[in-house]
Amino acid sequence: MREGQPTVLPGFGLTLGFTTFFLSAVVLLPLAALALLAASTPLHELLDAVASPRALASYRLSFGGALLAACINLVFGFIIAWTLARYDFPGRKLMDAMIDLPFALPTAVSGIALTAVFATNGWLGRYLEMAGIHVAYTRLGVILAMTLIGMPFAVRTVQPALLEVQRDLEDAAETLGAGRWYVFRRVIVPAVLPAILTGFTLAFARALGEYGSVIFISGNLPMKTEITPLLIVIHLEEFDYRGAAALGFVMLAASFVILLTINLLQAWGRDRMVRRGQ
Amino acid sequence: MTAAGAPPGSLEELATRPGHETVLAALARRSLIGISVAFLAALLLAPLAVVFATAFRGGLQVYLQAFADPDTQAAIRLTLLTALVAVPVNTVFGLSAAWAIAKFDFRGKSLLITLIDLPIAISPVISGMLFVLLFGMRGWFGAWLAANGISIVFAIPGIMLATLFVTFPYVARELIPLMQQLGNDEEEAAITLGAGAWMTFFRVTLPKIRWGLLYGVILCNARAMGEFGAVSVVSGHIRGLTNTMPLAIEALYNDYDFTGAFAVASLLTLLAVATLVLKSLVERSGYRRR
Amino acid sequence: MSITLDQLTKRYQGIPVVNDVSLEIGDGEFFVLLGPSGSGKSTLLRSIAGLSGLDHGRIALHGRDVTHVAARRRGVGLVFQNYALFRHMTVAENIEFALRVRHVRAAERRRRRQELLRLVALEGMDERLPAQLSGGQQQRVAVARALAHKPEVLLLDEPFGALDAKIREGLRRTIREVQRELGITTVLVTHDQEEAFAMADKIGVMNFGRLLESGRPQDLYTRPVTRFVATFLGAANLILARQGTDGPRWGARSPGLHCPATPIGRREREVVAVVRPEEIEIARSHEELVSSDYLGRGVVEEVLFTGALERARIRLDEAPDAPILAHGNPDGAVLLEATRAQFEQRAFAIGPGQEVTIGVRRAHVLPTPLSSFTVCASNASAAERLAGHPLLLDLSSRMKTRIRRHLEPALGASAPSRETAASLPGTTVIAAHRDVASDATWLLEQGVEEILILPEHASSPRRVLIHWTDESARRATLAASASVLRHLAAEAIYVGVLPEKAAAAERSFSIRDLLDARSEARIAHGLEIRTELRFGVAAQALTQLLDESPGHMLIVGITSGTQLAGELAALLANPQWPVLLVHRRHEALAHSRSAA
Repeated sequence: MREGQPTVLPGFGLTLGFTTFFLSAVVLLPLAALALLAASTPLHELLDAVASPRALASYRLSFGGALLAACINLVFGFIIAWTLARYDFPGRKLMDAMIDLPFALPTAVSGIALTAVFATNGWLGRYLEMAGIHVAYTRLGVILAMTLIGMPFAVRTVQPALLEVQRDLEDAAETLGAGRWYVFRRVIVPAVLPAILTGFTLAFARALGEYGSVIFISGNLPMKTEITPLLIVIHLEEFDYRGAAALGFVMLAASFVILLTINLLQAWGRDRMVRRGQ
Repeated sequence: MTAAGAPPGSLEELATRPGHETVLAALARRSLIGISVAFLAALLLAPLAVVFATAFRGGLQVYLQAFADPDTQAAIRLTLLTALVAVPVNTVFGLSAAWAIAKFDFRGKSLLITLIDLPIAISPVISGMLFVLLFGMRGWFGAWLAANGISIVFAIPGIMLATLFVTFPYVARELIPLMQQLGNDEEEAAITLGAGAWMTFFRVTLPKIRWGLLYGVILCNARAMGEFGAVSVVSGHIRGLTNTMPLAIEALYNDYDFTGAFAVASLLTLLAVATLVLKSLVERSGYRRR
Repeated sequence: MSITLDQLTKRYQGIPVVNDVSLEIGDGEFFVLLGPSGSGKSTLLRSIAGLSGLDHGRIALHGRDVTHVAARRRGVGLVFQNYALFRHMTVAENIEFALRVRHVRAAERRRRRQELLRLVALEGMDERLPAQLSGGQQQRVAVARALAHKPEVLLLDEPFGALDAKIREGLRRTIREVQRELGITTVLVTHDQEEAFAMADKIGVMNFGRLLESGRPQDLYTRPVTRFVATFLGAANLILARQGTDGPRWGARSPGLHCPATPIGRREREVVAVVRPEEIEIARSHEELVSSDYLGRGVVEEVLFTGALERARIRLDEAPDAPILAHGNPDGAVLLEATRAQFEQRAFAIGPGQEVTIGVRRAHVLPTPLSSFTVCASNASAAERLAGHPLLLDLSSRMKTRIRRHLEPALGASAPSRETAASLPGTTVIAAHRDVASDATWLLEQGVEEILILPEHASSPRRVLIHWTDESARRATLAASASVLRHLAAEAIYVGVLPEKAAAAERSFSIRDLLDARSEARIAHGLEIRTELRFGVAAQALTQLLDESPGHMLIVGITSGTQLAGELAALLANPQWPVLLVHRRHEALAHSRSAA
């Protein structure tokens, strides 16, 4: 269908019009408001909001914690994806379905549930306490919640990539004399690398913006366990719209960079091994 | 009856391959399965179980008592209402956007797609904040709204808007790749055979996309009922009025009414489980994402 | 011997996918495994490579037993149908993969890589990615990659399947040249008979997991042993003829035919003759047949011009003496396929509707004993039911032969009928019931030699048990078994039965007989069978085995009808499995037993 050519299919005007209207009202307008507000704020106020010690501490936690959580998800997500893709065991289908639970479960519910499990007298928390590990109301708890929320991304991007690695390639490598570990290192991992990185990035992005699952287990101690989204909420509650907008801008900028990275990664993955209509 | 054997490269063939089942391989397999199970048990199963364990800690009576609370009932009603509004609206939007994007070529198509993906990429708090910036007391329209006695933020309309914002991509994101993949041939054939626009849509397109549509609706609904961050910013937390179920959970939890909080949480958990079940049913019917 | 396969069997869900395959491939030989899809050839190849395990049997490569050796240590090179190139590696890296695994130094790797690229005519392509190559080029990289580590054996699994015709031909030549230059033993799997002819030193034809025949392409084409090979290697007309003591004949004529040196039986028997379409001559009348013997008359149904050749389909006239095509519908009107070269067309042009005379230049009689099936029942509805039996329909369509019907109201009665033997050609089929033994005895008295007893609910068997009551029935029973087993995906086991209290000497004789049976099956009929020795009464031992699991069939050879009522009575009392009775009168044994 060339642009400008009369098309047979109807509905172009109607659907495009409605879609554009909807998006403008629901997305563009609010974004414009944000941009304008940020633009109209005097610089020193912006810097105050964005670079205050409390904000900086929250960046360290939000970005740093999300990064750590994404790394954990990188490892465990790969292990889980591998297990689901390659092994058969009782309960596999159930496990496969459960991976999507963090998608479906409201964040508030996972928040209080995680806290209950890892609190000092919680089901798992009590054992960790005995080992001297505190989870609830610490940074560790924040990272834990971030890991939970990002886990489905790490698994669901790697799983199809693993399944897609043609069996033939591994068989060929074996007939050529390669042992299993060699095949893993040189044949499988390079093939799924783009997917692994995409999963990492998605998990990171999700963990960065997460609110509900984190605020219950974190304790929200300023300068210690306060995440950036919570700081934004506090500014809003104090009617400091400018401060909130400035912080929001920082987070949005980070989100855009991440989105860009994801798109680039996916394009890179496609280029490396262009499938020729197979 | 043919003598067709195990598909080459299948797990069955692998199982009989000489040198395949080594001690090391078996050990690796067991460890990996063990690690996965332990990881998921700690992170998924335990929280899931603790919801119900805590909710029923005081027995069935206490559990049911939690729902007798009028504030809780109001929260449940508000959540249902929100979903009832957000899901149909977003379904219509999703269908409309998917139709425009999948069937036509136009300038700005990629921009449109990026915009549609946006709410998923940004933090829910920011999503809510955007509406506060627009309609809050000191927002763009704040003065005008106050003058006319309309409240959006800290009232139900705000909650609706915020939920709409965070959930609208779900249906669209399912349908766009699906419809792109299915192509236009059938619709074009229908048009040339004389069918009108609506008839083509209902008789030709809708049946083709029904599983993807259902999948998107299920996800949209789960998010609509469970959204916390965005709604929390916009709602004002007025008990009995602007608290949805997730907010009610937070309120009860902060009041140390754990049984109450987990009782409400148990309802949402059941919803989540139902969502997962529906998802697998749809997937089993053959619908595979992208 | 470069590759030795010994009784390889692989089962999948109980059905043998590779069924007792034994094969020897010589050094430097180009061997092609040919067969339809599902015949087990790919599984066999993958077993040789070590990618698929076996349930039974041995594989030896250059004298080394590799049955339990992992694929990476077997020293084979495997080329896949879908190339299986490592997409994230360049051509150079792909080819050097096997060398890298073996820690070969970079300089040496490069040298070898250049050598291989030259071999497959892809010089200069080192740094390309597979995605940047055409299908043919990718396949050549795959071949080079498989040869890098100097394997002892090169295996190719339908390597040209994904390519179009012109490229395929070019690649065939390339691979053949490479193979000759390197002198490497090669096994190629394909379903394309033309490809097999073009490339092979020797061909092995597989069907239902069995290796039916192997030999040079010319030999398999002109002198096939089995129906399947005859029709698979090229178009073939299968014509039913009668073989008497003075040679085979169609109808009332007796053309000169090539026939096996020894007639199979003393009586006149029905046999299947293979006539290739190019061996058929078409003329206006009997006198005008120049290079062939007269077969009959017919009407031209269809004429197809295909460039170099003309393909004609001719409906043979129906007459009491007319030749009958084996394959087709009961009313006998089937089409004969003929191919004529240009000069023949110029000599005598034909068109649809024309009446012509048909002659045969060369025919080859297949030594298989089961030529066709004749359903015998006492009334019409029973006959129809029997004729529609799924197992029978299955067998007859696979064996490309017909099912006739014959009503015998006197079935089971003791009054003999004069003409019966002549109207019951081929194998007679009767339904199983409690008293089937007497039906069978009656038929045997009429001179019938093979009887197939079908119970109502018999399914395709997975295991076939073979037994004979006397050594003199061995040859015929093995011949009949071979014929049946070529068309079923089933394992074959010969069961020898000794009386309970057999002395040690008796036992060793029996074991020797088992081995004799196995070698005769292999040598004379190309059939691989397993053997088992049981003690007790034959009927009971066999019944016990047959009842072990569903999906059995029994083939038993007898020398006289009385054995049905006697030893085998228990066996035939309403059998739940199909039974094939093979009857030959007691013949003088060619060998004698010596004591100790």
